[in-house]
Amino acid sequence: MAVLCAVDVEKRFGSCVAVSGASLRVEPGRIHAVVGENGAGKSTLLRVMAGQLAPDHGHVEIDGKRLAPHTAAEAIARGVGMVAQHFQLIDALTVLENAILGVEPIGAFGVVDVAAAEAKLEGVLKDLGVRLDVRALVRELGVGDRQRLEIARVLYRDAQVVILDEPTAVLTPREATQLYETLHRLADGGRAVVVVTHKLDEVATHARAVTVLRRGRVIASREIGDVPRDEELRRLTQDVMGDAEPAPTRRARPARGEPLLELRDVERKPQLRAISLSVHAGEILGVAGVEGSGQGELVRVLAGLLVPASGRVVAKAAISVLHGDRHAEGLVLDASLQDNLLLGELAHYVRGGLLRASRMEAEASARLARSGAVPRELDLPAQALSGGNQQKLVVERAMSRAAKILVLAHPTRGVDVGAARAIHAKILEAASQGVAILVFGADLDELRALCDRIVVLARGTIVGEVPADADNERIGALMLTEAAS
Amino acid sequence: MLAQTLRASVPYVLAAQGGVWSERSGVVNVALEGTMLVGGLVSVAVALTTGSLAAGIAAAALSGALVGLVHVCAVELGRVDGIVSGLAINLAAAGGTRVLLRAWYGSSSNSPSLAGGSSASTGLALLGRALVDPMTLVMLVVVIATPFVLQRTRLGLRVRGCGESPEVLRAAGVSVSRTRAIAVAVGCALAALGGAALALEQRQFQSGMSGGRGFIALAAVVLAGWRPGRATLACAAFAILDAVQVVLQGQARALEGLLQALPYLATLVALVVFVRRQTSGGAPAALGRAERTS
Amino acid sequence: MSRRRLWTAQLEADALAIVVGLAAAHLAFCVLVWLYGESPWAMSRELFVGTWGTPYGAGQVLFKATPLFFTGLAVHVALRAGLFNVGVEGQLAVASLAVGALGAHLPLHVHAVVAWPLLFAVAMGSGALWSLLPAVLRSRFGTHEVITTILMNRLAGVAVNVALGVGLAEAGSVRTPDVVLGAHLPRLSTLFPPLRGSAVSFAAPIAVATVIVVVVLLPRTRYGREAVLVAANPVACAAERIPVGRRLLESLVISGALAGLASLGTVLGYKGYYEQGLGAGAGVTGIAVAMLGRGRIVGMLVAALLFGMLAQGGLVLNAHVPMEVMEVLQAVVVLAVALGDGAVRRQVMEALRSVAVRAEARV
Repeated sequence: MAVLCAVDVEKRFGSCVAVSGASLRVEPGRIHAVVGENGAGKSTLLRVMAGQLAPDHGHVEIDGKRLAPHTAAEAIARGVGMVAQHFQLIDALTVLENAILGVEPIGAFGVVDVAAAEAKLEGVLKDLGVRLDVRALVRELGVGDRQRLEIARVLYRDAQVVILDEPTAVLTPREATQLYETLHRLADGGRAVVVVTHKLDEVATHARAVTVLRRGRVIASREIGDVPRDEELRRLTQDVMGDAEPAPTRRARPARGEPLLELRDVERKPQLRAISLSVHAGEILGVAGVEGSGQGELVRVLAGLLVPASGRVVAKAAISVLHGDRHAEGLVLDASLQDNLLLGELAHYVRGGLLRASRMEAEASARLARSGAVPRELDLPAQALSGGNQQKLVVERAMSRAAKILVLAHPTRGVDVGAARAIHAKILEAASQGVAILVFGADLDELRALCDRIVVLARGTIVGEVPADADNERIGALMLTEAAS
Repeated sequence: MLAQTLRASVPYVLAAQGGVWSERSGVVNVALEGTMLVGGLVSVAVALTTGSLAAGIAAAALSGALVGLVHVCAVELGRVDGIVSGLAINLAAAGGTRVLLRAWYGSSSNSPSLAGGSSASTGLALLGRALVDPMTLVMLVVVIATPFVLQRTRLGLRVRGCGESPEVLRAAGVSVSRTRAIAVAVGCALAALGGAALALEQRQFQSGMSGGRGFIALAAVVLAGWRPGRATLACAAFAILDAVQVVLQGQARALEGLLQALPYLATLVALVVFVRRQTSGGAPAALGRAERTS
Repeated sequence: MSRRRLWTAQLEADALAIVVGLAAAHLAFCVLVWLYGESPWAMSRELFVGTWGTPYGAGQVLFKATPLFFTGLAVHVALRAGLFNVGVEGQLAVASLAVGALGAHLPLHVHAVVAWPLLFAVAMGSGALWSLLPAVLRSRFGTHEVITTILMNRLAGVAVNVALGVGLAEAGSVRTPDVVLGAHLPRLSTLFPPLRGSAVSFAAPIAVATVIVVVVLLPRTRYGREAVLVAANPVACAAERIPVGRRLLESLVISGALAGLASLGTVLGYKGYYEQGLGAGAGVTGIAVAMLGRGRIVGMLVAALLFGMLAQGGLVLNAHVPMEVMEVLQAVVVLAVALGDGAVRRQVMEALRSVAVRAEARV
């Protein structure tokens, strides 16, 4: 008996159809995966099912009865809880406060019954097998703990259906395994667990049922477990990608040029310790690390925005940086495409105190054309473009600066397969022109496809280096190495 | 001196606590000054008409709450920038109070005086008068109640949540607009009470009598890192300066200018000295931030 | 959607907002007048006749609008960078004092060619000086400029008072001595005789020219473009090495300088001296002008003229409707424009978004 289902759901954003004709049945006691590429509509569909978005057509049923009124509060009250991809936690509040927000137990005068809340939360944490200090501020928690708190929040509200949106995107391989242990525990306890993901190997390993979305439509929905894992993996890949084109073959390793960028014992406590690496001309070096590993700080050091407390950064050429978060650090969403494409470079266009408009427009047009982004109107605000197109812009900008050293953080974040391939091709092309490239990311598949070597960044320091054909387990193990302090 | 400080502190403290309420919920409130004017006028007008101080005080609080509702509606529903709305309210209040003064009492600078009240003006008698004043009592209640409510009650938790991350609240099914409406209404009601305290103390309303106190109260909130307890301390410091002004008044002409400038200079200096550079000085994360609708 | 259509869409949006602001002003005027028991129609007509109906009236409107051209521009320049310069009042008071004092102490027979540039520079410099502290506090420490500029306003009041008492004033009065002949800005009536009797001076065309030049030039300078970007997303700008703090500082300082220029019309063009309170209110109204004008030349000129008209009209109608009503009117206009702005902007963004999406779908 399905405990949660979507019936012919359609959801539009403006004139963009995110999901259409989608039906999905979730049954208790197992892990149900929802897969598809970036932009396929997975998150949107599940958000509709969790009551956070109202469908333009169709409806959602919980335990056989329609969800009405279609609100998040109602869905939560009826036992459906969702852990979003970007954590919805408030740093400045405590673990307990975050957990009870919205369902606070109260006594007289609206005073919160802290004792009762604590008791219930401790109970939930114990069932999960998780240990957290309920009085600690969320600000102090690491990524793994934050995620556990998110799950605890959902369970605190007596959820019978737990939906997780891309939960392993920010976890190391070992943490991901731990997460799935917890999820199995929940499922065995009778709850329904839904995991939205694009990581097919996880699905093949852990899920009992899978639903595949492509371009907003459900194209397959079936059980898992009847066929061997590898076969299942192949089937899933087929379903998700459609007519999958072969990945671009990595070019043969050219002879390495001289080292263009060297970091020697760069330190900036507490985020970065004893970082040493070098990148040669024509080489693509991958830096594998998840959030909190020091990635962000290292990128900013390379960009010249953070000064290391000690150590040296030796660059034999200009460095061009693509930062990881395009919305916060990459684009000025309200500004035009032209402004964004030339961001920070206006000094080159000044003559006699004024800017040379025609030159700026010409360069911006050229960059826009090269980026492959659509539409091609320079005056449109960046906000008007989809995430994928925005990413194309910032990648092109970073690569247009005629810099011989490129630092790219998450170059294909949030981008669909086709665009990701295009970006990869550009990176490979640049390398073949002799540019030294540093790629930061957590997506090990991407790093392996692009890079010649991969170093692993964990807890602020480089814990090891592997060749590009190393497997996940090895890299994962490195990510967990306790760095020598 | 102690008495003078106590007298002077009531409007500051009430306005500052009002600022805390509003800004902790994420709504910028530069309209404290204007709200004080409104509260002052309403309290005197109602007290004159009904002869009851209590009615005047209650009416002032109510008028403040109304002003607050206008502000929060403009910000939440109309998506107007909090600063713009606050400035507009200040403008409207400054002009509006003068318009009403003239309409009701024929003068655009003073209202008639309220009868009664002791005439003690120095020393212990003044202290006694200050302690017994109902507005002092109100202030004490507010000073104790505000941190308690914000930290220990459900409403307080939700207000703080709105100020940090309204998206999270919304996802949790809490109405951000409603919570902010309550917080801002309470906040402006308190500011209005501050204005009432000022006016009732002088037993009349004078145009522009808030004299910048609303802004200083806001500065106190900023200096205090938006924490009610510390804001009270900051206000006490400013009140001491005010008291110094009153006590030294007329004693040294040369110093007069310096004395008048003292509160403003002190605030500026304090803003420079006490600035906390990390996490923008402890401001609620969502303060003044326009949410993207995408 | 072509570039042309985008441009016209934005123009339409701004024009609509301005019209809405004007309509709101008129509506509020009618309501307030009606509350005073007067006929809105009669009062509106009298307002119009008293202002634009005679050359003298028109001249007075221009005179009242002159400082508003400057203060509106000052607020606008700061607003572009995401900053609220509420301190225009103080900046212009200090500048007025400086101009009045210096103008009185120049050599008696100095020629205008020497005096004017000097005095203009002093006006800008003192205005900029008064905004310097808030500018530094904001750019280096992030202290919100609303609080600091308001405090500077209050401080200006005290400072001017003290300065006048300490010796800048003429003996026995509370104003500075008359400025020398060469410092005066002649009345416009010397060129246009019909304007005789009104106080409008050459400061008015100077003001209009300044507005045009600044609005046109600003987006063509590196500072101008980067200031807007910094306002929209300081983090992204900092990531690309745009000097965020410096742009903020520059914006407030330039804003202060422009505010200082607002002293020209009143001190040099009208009274020939400075007394406390001369020109007060222009700073506050400047905010309303900037909001209503929406950064467009025509918008700001129209807005300044509107408020100049209301100021003059307030005098004309004073017998029937008190002048304080005009202040309330300003507030209503500010709010109306702000409300309209939000709604319009969302419409435009939605339209643009759908265009982009359609373009994508075609690929």
